[in-house]
Amino acid sequence: MSDIEKKSIDPATVKMLKKAQADGCETIFDRADAMKPCPIGAEGSCCKTCVMGPCRVPAPKKKGEEKSRRVGLCGATAETISARNFARMVAAGTAAHSDHARGVTEVFLATAKGKIPGFQIKDEQKLLQLAMDLGVEIGNRSVQEIAIDVGQKALSEFGRQEGEILLAKRAPLKRQEIWRNLGIMPRGIDREVVELLHRTCMGVDQEYKSLLHSAARCALADGWGGSMISTELQDVLFGTPVPVYGKMNLGVLKKDEVNLVIHGHEPLLPEIIVGVLQDPEIQKAARSVGAKGINLTGMCCSANEVLMRHGIPVGGNFLQQELAIVTGVVDAMVVDVQCEMQSLAQVAKCYHTKLITTSPRAKIEGAMHIEFDEHRAPDVAKKILMEAIENFKNRKPNADIPSETTDTVVGFSHETINYLLGGMFRASYRPLNDNIINGRIRGIAGVVGCNNARVTHDDPNFTLIKELIKNDVIVLVTGCSAMAAGKGGLLTPEAARQYAGEGLASVCEAVGIPPVLHMGACVDNSRILMAATAVVKDGGLGDDISDLPAAGAALEWMSEKALAIGHYFVASGIFTVFGVTWPTTGSEEVTKFLFEEFENSLKGKWGFEPDPMKAAKLMIEHIDKKRKALGIDKARERVLFDMAKRRELDAA
Amino acid sequence: MAEYCTEEKVAFNGKRVEILGPTFEEGKPGTPMNWRNKLRNREEMLAYLKTGERYWFNDEWFGSEKRKTKA
Repeated sequence: MSDIEKKSIDPATVKMLKKAQADGCETIFDRADAMKPCPIGAEGSCCKTCVMGPCRVPAPKKKGEEKSRRVGLCGATAETISARNFARMVAAGTAAHSDHARGVTEVFLATAKGKIPGFQIKDEQKLLQLAMDLGVEIGNRSVQEIAIDVGQKALSEFGRQEGEILLAKRAPLKRQEIWRNLGIMPRGIDREVVELLHRTCMGVDQEYKSLLHSAARCALADGWGGSMISTELQDVLFGTPVPVYGKMNLGVLKKDEVNLVIHGHEPLLPEIIVGVLQDPEIQKAARSVGAKGINLTGMCCSANEVLMRHGIPVGGNFLQQELAIVTGVVDAMVVDVQCEMQSLAQVAKCYHTKLITTSPRAKIEGAMHIEFDEHRAPDVAKKILMEAIENFKNRKPNADIPSETTDTVVGFSHETINYLLGGMFRASYRPLNDNIINGRIRGIAGVVGCNNARVTHDDPNFTLIKELIKNDVIVLVTGCSAMAAGKGGLLTPEAARQYAGEGLASVCEAVGIPPVLHMGACVDNSRILMAATAVVKDGGLGDDISDLPAAGAALEWMSEKALAIGHYFVASGIFTVFGVTWPTTGSEEVTKFLFEEFENSLKGKWGFEPDPMKAAKLMIEHIDKKRKALGIDKARERVLFDMAKRRELDAA
Repeated sequence: MAEYCTEEKVAFNGKRVEILGPTFEEGKPGTPMNWRNKLRNREEMLAYLKTGERYWFNDEWFGSEKRKTKA
């Protein structure tokens, strides 16, 4: 096996890496070979919060070395520095999700007020659901009136200065009590980010436990605040996901059509592009340059958004963004925010691709900028499509599209799972709980997060998911890990019989669902929180998310957003395992606090295990521990109680 | 639709029995399974919230959080 073949388990990726090498085009995979991570930064031991440093306080190489010597100029200990760095990553991740959410909220509000063309309220029922959560009166009011109030209430959640974020009350009651008792119930979304950044400044919070609890408060403002608002309002605007068929991998690109790749995270512009795609003027323009039509393809989380709402095919995940261009058939790649590599501009120069940035918050040197203005969204979408069409004729002769594509069924919002388990008149999580209790399903896992060029592309995520379902653990996926599952063929109902354990397969086949449920983009991890809450509230599996036989993982994480997600999973009571690297290894105390002591207060904890098989073992052991605590670890004889036995029970 | 296929399984009494096999039709879905369109008006939408989404929207829901004896 050549070195290139070890870079990914996905044959399409390997083919395009070989092509990039032949074409003399450098990719992230080459740079990962050439540049190793900074060992001091990787363990969280570099402090640059003031300019007296940067101070480096790496972990002692020999055991027993003086801990007191490991301080920065100001005396900040390795523990403080490590916790500060961790907290700053959480703050950045929360800021990313929440700024995305703010953008969506502003568009939502403008839509409600009828100020922008192209957008509309598509899911009235979801609007009513949100109105009830936010305390907006429904009565006989019009959709528009309700939507304006919902939009204003949602917008005020960002700047709220006191009280509690409104959507946190969706969590199980016991969980809310834990947050209140620890003083980490989030107030406003922006407030928690600002306060955490303040605490991590030079000379402020210098007690690592305090910093990490504060980071939990900030992360909760993401999971139950920013991310959740984003998911909910996107559902109201574009529709709550329902099961839909779609294809994944680079083979979805078409040689004889204009290929436009939409890459990033916000579904606003992609939704409008989908809408104007069938415009006769656009179709005619495509034919006039010799193309048979226009092929829209998604990349990263924008892909997840349009896949689960329209069945638009997915080109690939994070590490495939450069490789889509390497095919030589991408006429334009349009990006908005988050996870867009600056190198795209250089890769695009090797071929004919036009790289188009659209967000005023995210420009890339060397890229064309067509700003997304929601007030003239259809015009912006048409302009982008025309750029792609005009570029079709500039393709170079070395185009090569890998043949790999995989069928998927996606769109499992928590509302859809509820419906699928019981139907319109008996929608319920009861069948899931019953099958967890009877042992057919051993537990639930959320496998989320990114790709990381430091490990074999897709391998940790795919191997972990396959091992979990083999052991009867139903898996909920989002983001780039969802695509790893999809490309590997795990997102179809047929995968149940092929890959899942007998118990899980029997349930999946009865319901007609895949053993791995695609729940959306990375902001949609809030859907996993809601599904977990529904399982708790349905009864029989404890009173809190931490009681559930459940675990989370992000074995290929790379983004600060992933750390924010992981921290709100943990703060919501979920054992969460990360792979690749762990950012607090510079401090044994901080790491121990996150991995062990956090469980005493938050009932959730972190874990680190880069090996997917070992990570699966850790998760399954945790699931089994929870099953034992619930008393469902052993099959029990079913006894029919007569009235006499019932009376004995009452007397007891 | 194709004829139903059957599978042979062992029953609880140890006898081999023939049961109905999978009944799904081959092929790929052409359209999304848009179950939410079944909710035709606001009354039905609100009613569904109280029943289907009872975990959050029904005051009378007797779930894990209202049991007499805490778990």
